[in-house]
Amino acid sequence: MGLAGRLYDLTWRRVRHLGSASLLSVATLSSMVTPPFEWRAVLVQLEGIGVRSANLAAVIALFTGMVLALQTAYTLAAFGAKLYIGEVVGLSLVRELGPVLTALMVGGRVGAGITAELGSMTVSEQVEAVRSLGADPIRKLVVPRMWALVIALPLLVLLADATGIIGGMVISTWELGLDPSFYLSHVLRLMEYGDFFSGLGKSVFFAVAIGIIACYNGLTAEGGADGVGRATTNTVVAVAITVLVLDFFLTKFFLWL
Amino acid sequence: MSDERPIAIDFFEVHKSFGSKDVLRGLTFRVERGETVVVLGGSGSGKSVLLKHINGLLKPDSGAVVVLGRGVSHLNEPELIELRHRVAYIFQQSALFDSLSVGENVAYPLLEHGSLREDELDEKVASLLTRVGLAGTERLQPAELSGGMRKRVAIARGLAVDPEVILYDEPTAGLDPLTGLAIVSLIREVTRESGATSLVVTHDLAVARELADRIAFLEEGRFSFLGSLSDAAQRPGSVGDFVRAGGIHV
Repeated sequence: MGLAGRLYDLTWRRVRHLGSASLLSVATLSSMVTPPFEWRAVLVQLEGIGVRSANLAAVIALFTGMVLALQTAYTLAAFGAKLYIGEVVGLSLVRELGPVLTALMVGGRVGAGITAELGSMTVSEQVEAVRSLGADPIRKLVVPRMWALVIALPLLVLLADATGIIGGMVISTWELGLDPSFYLSHVLRLMEYGDFFSGLGKSVFFAVAIGIIACYNGLTAEGGADGVGRATTNTVVAVAITVLVLDFFLTKFFLWL
Repeated sequence: MSDERPIAIDFFEVHKSFGSKDVLRGLTFRVERGETVVVLGGSGSGKSVLLKHINGLLKPDSGAVVVLGRGVSHLNEPELIELRHRVAYIFQQSALFDSLSVGENVAYPLLEHGSLREDELDEKVASLLTRVGLAGTERLQPAELSGGMRKRVAIARGLAVDPEVILYDEPTAGLDPLTGLAIVSLIREVTRESGATSLVVTHDLAVARELADRIAFLEEGRFSFLGSLSDAAQRPGSVGDFVRAGGIHV
């Protein structure tokens, strides 16, 4: 096959994947809001996706807040504006770093887990078994994970925002000698509800994207353990790229609102 | 084959391709109710693809598949779900749900479709597991089971909805000969007790010898032979070679 043929083949494959993923998105979103609901399965997934990701989200946010405070203090010191560290750390975390870093880290962990689990089920015929037993794999397998992500990710972002701000407070108190209440009052001084909601709003979109990518790669895995491994890697890469690209457009969108 | 018994499975000129690979090329055959047909063929000959057309996991590119009087190609999802209550599929790798216990696996189709009370459900699961020789294993996890036990659980799960058609995909694959024979005996017993129509896909001639009312030999997307095993052994060419290579002679 020549170069043109290979390019055509590659493009056609990508278009087909995009089409299939879009169909899965439509079917999933419509199943999410129509009965029957599998709330018990959602609770099980919430435990795996949300509760078990809390430590990861908190540790990453804590150290991000600390580093952000250090770097900001260093930069602001040049302008004699070190006192404004609370505003910069607070807004950066709540509007941008909290949702994006949480989505990247939790998305990588949870997305890889979902793809590996569904991929193993696919290659061992368990997904076909669900269908052959008269159940709908989207309702049984995809929807509970999607709901768990949509509920858990905003909560994890809130946790990350809080721990990040605390991290910033630790540095501003110990390293820069600021009073904690002074720091916190500055964190809240410029912050508006809209800042919180833009961060939380982003996290809902990130959750949907992570869920669709992870479930799609899992349900289309083929070729045994090797195929599941490839699908899992694809998910981690696709989640990272999608979160960052989506973040740009969502930032534009929420600023426009 | 008698003309009196009703037809359970009817394939007419079924074609199925995956990309550029033609797997089924005008496949035509019928299975009567209560009959056991064993489908033989080499690896990759399309045996599993054929089975998946019967309960609508796959749809043909062209041609017709009629199962228990329903044209599978034209059924919508709720109708397919209804059909799948009547057609059990026993997967090659057993396909037990790893996250569920043995009891929950067997109860799965009953919970999906039935309205049994919890005590009735437990009783039914226990009786199904007893029937396949695994009484008292409800609380075990699939990972704790041997290959033969997994197959038995898969058969119990398939029997849960009292199917009229049972499809077995390589029921003895990956099992040692003794366990394989035990599974074949179980299938024979299940078929006798339930009176279900059975289609067994395998490349294991011992299975064909023990179970088949008729064998069908799938080759290049079509059946090159339909008839008794002893007739197949007398045939020249690939059908006869395949059967004789398995130690079956006239």
